Amino acid sequence: MQNRDENTKDTEQSSVSRRDVLKIAGGLAATLGLTQFISIKSLASSLEAGSVNPDGVKWGMLIDINKCIGCNYCTYACQAVNNLADDMLYNVVTTETTQSGTEFFLSRPCMQCAEAPCVHVCPVEATYYREDGIVIMDYDRCIGCRYCQVACPYDARVFNWREPIEKSDLIPTFGVQEVPNRQRGVVEKCHFCSHRIDDGLQRGLEPGVHPQATPACVVACPTGARVFGDLNSPTSPISKARDDARVTLRLREELSTEPRVYYVPPDSAYKPPFQTGEE
Amino acid sequence: MQAIVNYPKVRIGKYSIDIFPYWIGLLLVGIAFGLVGAFIVLTQGLQVTGLSNKVPWALWISIDLSSIALGGSAFVFGVIVHLLRIKRFEVVGRLAILLGFLGYSTAGMVLLFDLGKPFRFWHPIVYWQPHSLLWEITMCVVLYLSVLMAEMLPIVLEHPAFSNHPWLTRFPVLEKLMKPVRRFSHWLHGFSPVLAVIGLTLSLLHQASLGATYSVLSGRGLWFNQSAPVQFVLSAMGGGVALLFILSIIVFRITRPGLVKDGVFYDLARISGAVTLLLTYLRVWDFAVTNYYSFDREIALQTQVLNTIAPYSLTFWLGQAILPAIAGAMLLAAKRIRSFRVLLVVATVPVLNAILMRWNYNFSGLIASISYDPFTPSVILNSYTPTWIEFAVGGMVICYWLLMFSLAARYLPFHATDHPKHS
Repeated sequence: MQNRDENTKDTEQSSVSRRDVLKIAGGLAATLGLTQFISIKSLASSLEAGSVNPDGVKWGMLIDINKCIGCNYCTYACQAVNNLADDMLYNVVTTETTQSGTEFFLSRPCMQCAEAPCVHVCPVEATYYREDGIVIMDYDRCIGCRYCQVACPYDARVFNWREPIEKSDLIPTFGVQEVPNRQRGVVEKCHFCSHRIDDGLQRGLEPGVHPQATPACVVACPTGARVFGDLNSPTSPISKARDDARVTLRLREELSTEPRVYYVPPDSAYKPPFQTGEE
Repeated sequence: MQAIVNYPKVRIGKYSIDIFPYWIGLLLVGIAFGLVGAFIVLTQGLQVTGLSNKVPWALWISIDLSSIALGGSAFVFGVIVHLLRIKRFEVVGRLAILLGFLGYSTAGMVLLFDLGKPFRFWHPIVYWQPHSLLWEITMCVVLYLSVLMAEMLPIVLEHPAFSNHPWLTRFPVLEKLMKPVRRFSHWLHGFSPVLAVIGLTLSLLHQASLGATYSVLSGRGLWFNQSAPVQFVLSAMGGGVALLFILSIIVFRITRPGLVKDGVFYDLARISGAVTLLLTYLRVWDFAVTNYYSFDREIALQTQVLNTIAPYSLTFWLGQAILPAIAGAMLLAAKRIRSFRVLLVVATVPVLNAILMRWNYNFSGLIASISYDPFTPSVILNSYTPTWIEFAVGGMVICYWLLMFSLAARYLPFHATDHPKHS
C-alpha cells in the first residue's frame, strides 16, 4: 500500500482529483462568462453604430464627373479649412479612364460609408458614426495603430507622421483654418466639414443650400460638380440631383461598404463610341 | 536537486573559454544600439521610419506577428502538461512557457514603438470596441501575458537564490518579504490547470484573430480569405513546437544531458511534423481555392504584380508547400531518422514557414493594393524600404529575446520538481 503512493508519483497515470475538475470547470465558466459579456457588449455597440434611426438625417454628397474640370479647388479649400500639408490630403483628384480609354477626373473625399470598415476595425472606438451618418474621429482617443488606414478601400485616411504644419500655403486664398490641428501620431480623415453643419443647423441654415453650412469642397467647386444634402429628404439638393441623374454609381460598391458619396459617371462610359449627340 | 549543467565552450589551443559572457555582451551592444533608435522614434515619431500612408504596417508588424506565433508552444504544452497531465513533458513544458512569455513580451515591446501614440497603449483596455479584431487581440495578449507571468513566477522562484541566498539570513526583512511571495506562488501553481484552460482559450482566440485581422478586409484581394485564421493557428502550433524542439535540444540535450529522455524530443518533433503537414495540406487547398477555383481578376493581378518585384509565388511553392511537406514528413518520422543533427536542420523549416507566411501575408495586400477607380480598377504597386532605425529597434527586441532566453537557459531551474503539491 505504501509502495503504491510512491509509484503513482512517477508514472504517467493521470489522476485528476475532484478539486481539479472543479477548478477547470471554474476556469471554463469564467472564460465563457467573459465571452458572453463581450457578445452582449458588442451587440450594444452595434446598435449604437450608425443604424440608429435610419430614417433620420443622413448627409451625403453627389459628384458629377461630367462637370468636374480637375481644377483641384475642392482639395485646396479642404487643405485651407483643415490646415493640411500637401501630402496629407483628405480629398484627392486623379485622372482616370473609362473602358474605352476616355480620360476623366475623379475627385474622392471620404465616402462616409454606412458600413465603414474603418469603424469596424478601430480597437478603441476612436472612429465612430455620428447620428447623421458622418464617420468622425476622436483624435484624443486614437492610438495611431493605423488599422483603419489598412482597412479603408478608398485610401481616404492619412496619418500624422509629423507635427502639424504651422499654416497651409492655401490660407487665406482658399479659406481660413476652421478646425484645430491634430497631433502627431494620430490618423485623421475628412469629416464632411461637420463643424460647418453643426454651426449652420444651430443658426437655422440648411446644409447643402447655405454655403456657411456646407462642406468647403462643395462651396469651392467652380462648376457645381459637387452637391450636398440630406439623402433622406426628398427636397434636398442631393435628392433632386440624384433624381435628375440618369445613372449614379458608388465606388467599389461590391464591398458592401454602402458609401454615401454618389457619382454621376462620365457620359462616355455609358455611350458606345458610334452613338453621338443627345438621344 | 541541482542538475549537472554543461556550458558550451570554445577551445583555442589548450584554453577552453566560456563564451557566455561575450555572447551576453554582444547582445547588450545590440540592445544599446536599438535604444538609440528607440529614443529617436519616441522623440521624433514615425516619420523616421520607412512607413507611409500606402504601407502603414511593415517590418515591426512582421516581427510582432512572428514572435507571437513562435510563442505558440506555450499554450500547446500548457494543455499537455497541466490538463492531460503527461508528466514526461513537464520539464520541456517549462521551456515552452518561457518561450511563450518571451514571444509575447517581445511582441508587446515592438508594438509599443509601432503605435503613433505609444503612451496611449492602455486605451484598448479602457475604451472597448469588441467589433475590432485588434481590440480582441490586445485584450487577449494582455490577459495571456498575465497568465504566462503567473505560470512563470513559480518556476523563477524555484531558483536556489530565492531560498538559500546568504542575504536571506543576513537581512531578515528579505526573508519576511519572500514568505508571502512564496505562498502566492504555491497558490498560483495549484491553479495551473485553470491557467492552462484560460491560456488555451485566449491563445486560440488571438492566434486566429491575427489572421482574421487581415482576412476580414474585403478591399485587399489577397487578404480576403476564410481559412487564414486556421492557418495562423496551425502555423503557430507547428512553428512554435518546432522552435521548442530546437531550443530544448540546446537547453536539455546539450547543456543538461540526461534531464530529458530522447523520446520526449522525438515526440516534440512528431507533434510539430504532424501539425506542419496539416497546415501544408490546408495551405495548398487554400491556394487552389484562391487562385484556381474562384478565379478572381484582382487577386490574379495582385499575384502577377507581386511576382514582378519579388519571388512571391516561389516563396509559396518552395517555402510554404514543398519544404514544409518534406520537413513535416521527416519530423513525423523522427524516431526512424534518429539523427538530431538532421532533425535540427529540418525543424528550422516550420519556424521559417511561420515567419514567411506572416511576412508574405502582411505585405501582399499592402505592396500591391487595388485602386478604387470605377471603370478600370488596377493594382497599384507601392514600395517600402525600412530605415536603419527600424532595423535597430527590430534588432533590439530580437536581442532582448535572445538575452532573456540565454540567461534563462543558463540559470532557470528547469529541473526542480519538489512542488509542495506533489511532495
